[in-house]
Amino acid sequence: MASASDTITPAEGVVRAPRERLWYPYLLIAPSMLMLVVVSLVPFLYTIYLSFHAAKFGRVTDFIGFDNYAVLLTDPRFWNSIGVAATFVLIAVPVEFMLGLAGALVLNQNVRGRSILVPLLFMPTMMAPIVVGLLWKIMLAGSWGFFSYNVLERFNLLEGTSVFASPEFALYALIFVDIWQWTPFMMLAFFAGLQALPMGPYRAAAVDGANPLQMFFHITLPMMTPLLAVIGLLRFIDAFKVFDTIYILTGGGPGISTETPSILANKMTFEFWNIGEASALAVLVWLAFFAFCNVFYQVAKKRLNAF
Amino acid sequence: MAEAQSRPEGSRALLWTSVTVVYAAIMLFPIFWMASMMVKPNDAMFARPTQFLFMPTLEHFSYVIEHGFHWYLLTSFLLCTVSTALVVIIGTPAAYAFARFEMRAKDDLFLFILASRMAPPVCLVIPFYLIFAKVGLLDTFLGLTLAYMTFNLSFYIWVLRSFCRDLPVQLEEAAALEGWSKPQIFRRVVFPLLRNGIVATAVLCFIFAWNEFLFAFMLGGRAVQTLPVSIPKLITSQGVRWGEMAVVGMTALLPVLAVVFVLQRHIVRGLTLGAVKG
Repeated sequence: MASASDTITPAEGVVRAPRERLWYPYLLIAPSMLMLVVVSLVPFLYTIYLSFHAAKFGRVTDFIGFDNYAVLLTDPRFWNSIGVAATFVLIAVPVEFMLGLAGALVLNQNVRGRSILVPLLFMPTMMAPIVVGLLWKIMLAGSWGFFSYNVLERFNLLEGTSVFASPEFALYALIFVDIWQWTPFMMLAFFAGLQALPMGPYRAAAVDGANPLQMFFHITLPMMTPLLAVIGLLRFIDAFKVFDTIYILTGGGPGISTETPSILANKMTFEFWNIGEASALAVLVWLAFFAFCNVFYQVAKKRLNAF
Repeated sequence: MAEAQSRPEGSRALLWTSVTVVYAAIMLFPIFWMASMMVKPNDAMFARPTQFLFMPTLEHFSYVIEHGFHWYLLTSFLLCTVSTALVVIIGTPAAYAFARFEMRAKDDLFLFILASRMAPPVCLVIPFYLIFAKVGLLDTFLGLTLAYMTFNLSFYIWVLRSFCRDLPVQLEEAAALEGWSKPQIFRRVVFPLLRNGIVATAVLCFIFAWNEFLFAFMLGGRAVQTLPVSIPKLITSQGVRWGEMAVVGMTALLPVLAVVFVLQRHIVRGLTLGAVKG
């Protein structure tokens, strides 16, 4: 028995059984793939179809080529939404990244009681985004909100109204909420990475008399780079999708000052019933996501040896 | 010597621990505040300056019960359970197959799964709405279950595959040499080893479904109404019912609180789609 199993080369990590091998894995994935074709590929193809047709108020009529795209791309509201999303992502993600890294380094300093602290810190990330929105609606409510009254009014930043009603500050308030919600995720993912680093290089550096700052820049950071890139990329992709918190906090307003492509597409569909143009927007957003998602996959696979 | 070194070490740990505790307390304060609003009478709630002490009341709870919010809780629970169960049943074999077998165009199929996970829900809700309206799935239990497959099935396959790859392949090879059939190997060797991974991933799926808002709001909303969807409905024409919102919000939070403690290490792995092993 033992000698028989020795002849198998485990290096390839594949269970060998020549005859069944051909169809068995396809049988295993068939139900899932069928399901994903129905709920993911079909809707995508249908959206492409809609984007080339005149479709208003739920009635799909003539084929109109790229007209929906032309209308969309000349719509200042579309470009506004891109700008809003870019501002949102380009401020929120780097701040979450830096705070998360700092937090992870603190957590790594032999903090006691991690088994209680870590789960608690995870709360904002794991909560329903709609509840996160509700929480900050309460904290930042006009005049009586805890944060509005005790912080913003005290420093004369705001008087009597909610920050979400202010065209200049509403977007920054949403960014603040996103940072509150997602910094813990960055922090705990980076912390998991730090915990997995080997001790060897640090011992060698200590023998050579390196100080903690040198160790951070010459050992920790280089070893953490792939992980930082993958997590940053993932958060970057997700930040573009934020819908629930914006929907409950500002609904894209005041005016269109916090209207991201997600909010705009939703309004186009369910408020203006302008389905053709909304589909064109959805297709563009979708294509952008495919590109991002491909980059994420390649980076995670090659640099991090994940997947 | 050893003692002299351990003392500053101990005080440094204490310093960083207190920093973390203070940080956590500040970050979690809004949650405590919302929890206190569950039993805060309205006049105390809107008081300026902020009123910290008040006579607790149960009026918000009774309003929530009178207006049938426990049915939304039940709907949420059933919907999440059923859709998660379906994901586990059809997703587990797929995850195993992707981890262990050679297939044609495997990378492309796998990328397709990732793309389903990453797709913005707002893009999906448009075709779903129109298709569901045509085939009569709008505002039905089945419709929402299907919609939840887009993000949860793809998520489940992707993450469980990373758990599968952690299992030693030698056990399966040994079983194959014993002449066990492949379904036997899966049932008697792989499944027991994979059980923890399956539970952890399934619980995360449950939470994602539990937290989901957009699909439930646009594709459901009347006959099938989940807990998150019921929250904006408390913004009524007579004003916003803050206390009631706090009650519903905290109810929605309870399973999450349980899960963060139970799953701990697996959450990072789940949220990074298996890229980081927590």
